[in-house]
Amino acid sequence: MSTIVEMKTLNKFYGSHHVLKNIDLSVARGEVVVVIGASGSGKSTLIRCVNGLEMYQNGSLLVDGYPMPVEEDRLLGGESELAAIRKGVGMVFQQFNLFPHKTVVENITIAPMRVHRKSKAEAEATALRLLDRVGLKAHAHKYPGQLSGGQQQRVAIARSLAMEPHLMLFDEPTSALDPEMIGEVLDVMRELAADGMTMMIVTHEMGFAREVADRIVYIDQGAILEIGKPDAFFDNPQNERARAFLARVLKH
Amino acid sequence: MIARSLKWSRHNLFAKPFDVLLSLTVIPGVLWLIWQIAGWALTVAQWDIIPQSLRVLMIGIFPVDQAWRTWVAAMIIAALLGAALGCVFAFRGRHAGGLLLVVAVALVLTGTKGLANILCVAALVALFGLSWALISRVPAARRGLVPASFVGLIAIFAVMAPPGAGLWGGLLLSILLTLVTAVVTLPIGILLAFGRRSRFSSVRWICTAYIEVMRSVPLIMVVYWIWILMPVLTPQLNLADVVRGMIGFTLFYSAYVAEYVRSGLQAVPRGQTEAARSLGMSEFDINRSIVLPQALRVVVPPLVGNVLDIFNTAPLVFIIGLTDFLRAGQMILANPQYGDRTYEVYSFLFLTYFLVGSLITFVARKLEKHLARGSR
Ligand SMILES: Nc1ncnc2c1ncn2[C@@H]1O[C@H](COP(=O)(O)OP(=O)(O)O)[C@@H](O)[C@H]1O
Ligand SMILES: [Mg+2]
Repeated sequence: MSTIVEMKTLNKFYGSHHVLKNIDLSVARGEVVVVIGASGSGKSTLIRCVNGLEMYQNGSLLVDGYPMPVEEDRLLGGESELAAIRKGVGMVFQQFNLFPHKTVVENITIAPMRVHRKSKAEAEATALRLLDRVGLKAHAHKYPGQLSGGQQQRVAIARSLAMEPHLMLFDEPTSALDPEMIGEVLDVMRELAADGMTMMIVTHEMGFAREVADRIVYIDQGAILEIGKPDAFFDNPQNERARAFLARVLKH
Repeated sequence: MIARSLKWSRHNLFAKPFDVLLSLTVIPGVLWLIWQIAGWALTVAQWDIIPQSLRVLMIGIFPVDQAWRTWVAAMIIAALLGAALGCVFAFRGRHAGGLLLVVAVALVLTGTKGLANILCVAALVALFGLSWALISRVPAARRGLVPASFVGLIAIFAVMAPPGAGLWGGLLLSILLTLVTAVVTLPIGILLAFGRRSRFSSVRWICTAYIEVMRSVPLIMVVYWIWILMPVLTPQLNLADVVRGMIGFTLFYSAYVAEYVRSGLQAVPRGQTEAARSLGMSEFDINRSIVLPQALRVVVPPLVGNVLDIFNTAPLVFIIGLTDFLRAGQMILANPQYGDRTYEVYSFLFLTYFLVGSLITFVARKLEKHLARGSR
């Protein structure tokens, strides 16, 4: 199985603050990798590097066959790979980030029309199919402000899927949701995993992580301390800090 | 009813000793002033000067036999204003009634002489109403509004130019100056605002410097500088004073529009850009379709307020020898025959400025409410 993401000794700084430390991680096509760790440990930064929302300073990062340029090259204008990478990588955010001035359908069709030059009719047909898949076809012509959080997040997933991504990134997709809405979003993600989508997920939903993940990555203070199969990791973590972290979060 | 008004006055006028004192001095004072003014306006004042000099007040010294050109210009302006209104307020049946009332009042007040003028006024209002209705009923027509306003402005210039731009004047000049400035500053201001956030430090630096310089000097200074500089910079163009004045106003107010737009851009959450980037959209598409529409929504009310600012500072063009509305009034008074009608003319000027100003303020208020409702 080919790899879709390959990080080698990747380092990221905010000024003098060393946020990602010598990250080595590769993700195979079709694999579901769940990243867990305490708040502030660098989980968001890690997955945001994959689609270039954050820049890294040294090391190497290969995404979907393209080398992601380091910060220095990007500031000098070397960003041609970036556009290619982003076309193949979708992302779902904690705050949904739907476009409030566009209807649900417009949210989903704008990128395929602008980036892939699809016709309006074709893009809308795809959008409706995807909305059906996430159970929101009836809301196609509403504005995001008229939907619940769970519905908005499902629209956000559909919006990403419309670009036919090879890899989906999820940054705490259920953390901003009321508890009763978490399930509907996780269900959509489960289906995606079952369909063979490659995913990198940051989440605090440990039950869900154990269920869908092929591998768990535990990160602490910017360094990966443990990578393992879910059962092995949750039942018998090797790293001391991972054990303490699990004890803390599983108690609740 | 009486009890209610007694209660109201107790709360609002006589709640504390200081209020009582203030009310007992201010209210009689104001009543006395109103009494005096009304007495003057109804018995002493000779209002016939207004209809007699209405043409000069409206179009300055534009030749009488060419007056049809100013009517055409006024109609284009009416259509553009109607269209602008239609973007935010739906046209209803009762609005048509209101417009008819406006025609009637205009006719009674100005005592417009002759059938031709009456028809022109009616056509003006009809055009305004029609484009208002069209734009509010057919949302697809809105796409054409920005190009249409540029075409409209060019058409106005084309039709008004032949007798000589030096002859433009009166209220028409004030409105034209305001309109041109308002329309042209918008794209320039948007570009400057984006330039100020550009990733290229040279662009950022130039835009910031431009905005800051313009905002720290008086408008009259900029207008005068452009007026004396243009002939030196572009001697072969030989630009008319009016055009130079418009350039000065545009350069000055672009900086203010840029700052309003920038505050709107800052109000758009970062997540919007990040989501659009993660979808692979180009920076140009992101700015045009995601960031700018949301930013403009926030700043429409202050931008409308800015239009009022432009209109109210338009009289400053007297410094480069133009005859705007206010100056046209003074010109009439310069005629010895009318020397004793100062108060009548200035009352008319005051009322007109007040009317236009409160209309624009009213629209801005309504817009604010309208947009606040829409963004929920
Ligand atoms: N824009 C930023 N500037 C400076 N420091 C940042 C910025 N974003 C995140 N950080 C820091 O980087 C570290 C990792 O943050 P993050 O990746 O958001 O953690 P997590 O997602 O695991 O909670 C934190 O210490 C945070 O304070
Ligand atoms: Mg995070």
